[in-house]
Amino acid sequence: MSVSDRKTLAGSEVRVGAELPPFDLAVTPTRIVAGAIASRDFMPAHHDAKFARAQGAPDIFMNILTTNGLVARFVTDWAGPEAMLLKIAIRLGAPALPGQTLRFSGRVRSAKPEGEEWVVELEVRAENDLGDHATGSVVFSLPSP
Amino acid sequence: MAQEERDELRPQLERYVGQPMGPPASAPDPVNIPMIRHWVDALDDHNPVYLDDAFAATSRFGGVVAPPAMLQTWTMARPRIEGIAERGGAPMEMTRDNAIVALDVAGYVGTLATNSELEFLRYLRPGDRLHATTELESISNRKRTSLGVGYFLTWVTTYRVESEIVGRQLFRIFKFHPSTIGAGP
Repeated sequence: MSVSDRKTLAGSEVRVGAELPPFDLAVTPTRIVAGAIASRDFMPAHHDAKFARAQGAPDIFMNILTTNGLVARFVTDWAGPEAMLLKIAIRLGAPALPGQTLRFSGRVRSAKPEGEEWVVELEVRAENDLGDHATGSVVFSLPSP
Repeated sequence: MAQEERDELRPQLERYVGQPMGPPASAPDPVNIPMIRHWVDALDDHNPVYLDDAFAATSRFGGVVAPPAMLQTWTMARPRIEGIAERGGAPMEMTRDNAIVALDVAGYVGTLATNSELEFLRYLRPGDRLHATTELESISNRKRTSLGVGYFLTWVTTYRVESEIVGRQLFRIFKFHPSTIGAGP
C-alpha cells in the first residue's frame, strides 16, 4: 500500500494505534528554496541567508506551505494515492534548517466507516535536532474498495 | 501565572476583530498543470493523481487534481521583487490599515507563526479559479511568554471557486515586543 505501488489502503486495514513508516528528509538549501518558490512564497527568509540572519534566524528556513506539503506527502505515501486529505492541523515549533534532517512520524488515532468511506485521523510529528518542527493531526478519507 | 495589566492598545485592536484583513485575493492564474508540476518536483511527491491523467481518470477523483496543500499557493500575491527585503519580505506594499500594522507601529514587531489548520472541502482541478477572503477571527489578551509580551492573532481564510467554498485555513501568529524577551515566567 503506498504511492510507489499505486495502491490505496482499505479502511478495514487501518488499525488504531498503528504507526506510519517513518520518513526522514534531508533538508538542504535547495529543498527549502525549491519549496518556497514552487509555493510562490518569495519571502527572503526562505532563500536569502543574510536576510534570515538579520531577522534573528540561524539560516534560511522552510516555509509553512512546504511543511504542510511534506506532511501531506508523508501521509499519502503511506495511505496511497486515493487517500483524500480533509484536514492538516499543525502547531509550529522549531524551524526546519539546512543540514538538519526532518524526521516524520505518525500514528493512527481513529478510523471509522462513514457512509461509503472510511475516515482516519492521525497524529503526526516532524522533528529535527532542535525539537518539534510541526506536531498535530491529519484527517483523511479512504474510498470504499 | 498570567498577570492582569492595563492594556491601552485593546480598544484600538478590538475594532479589527471580525473584519477583513485586506482586500479579497484572486488567483492570478487558474489551477494549472505547470504549477502542479513545479510543486510535485520541489517536494518529490509522486502521487499519480497529481500528474498522471490515465491513473487519475480511473481514481475516485476522475481526473488529475492539485495537491491539496497547494491551496494557499494559488492566491499568493504576485511579488514585486525590487525592494522586497526593505519591506520586511512583504510581496507588496501593505497599504491597508490592519491589526498587524497597528501592532508593528506599537512596537510589537516580532512575529512567530504558531498554528496552521488547513481544511479541504474538495480537491481542486485544472481550470478552477480561486478567490480568497481573510477575516481576523480573534486577538488574544496581552500575554507574557518566553519570547516576550504580545498578542496571539488568529485569522481564517476562506477559499472559493465562484460561490462554492472549497477550503479554509486558520492561521495563528504571536506578535510580540522584542524588548520584552525573557520577561516571561
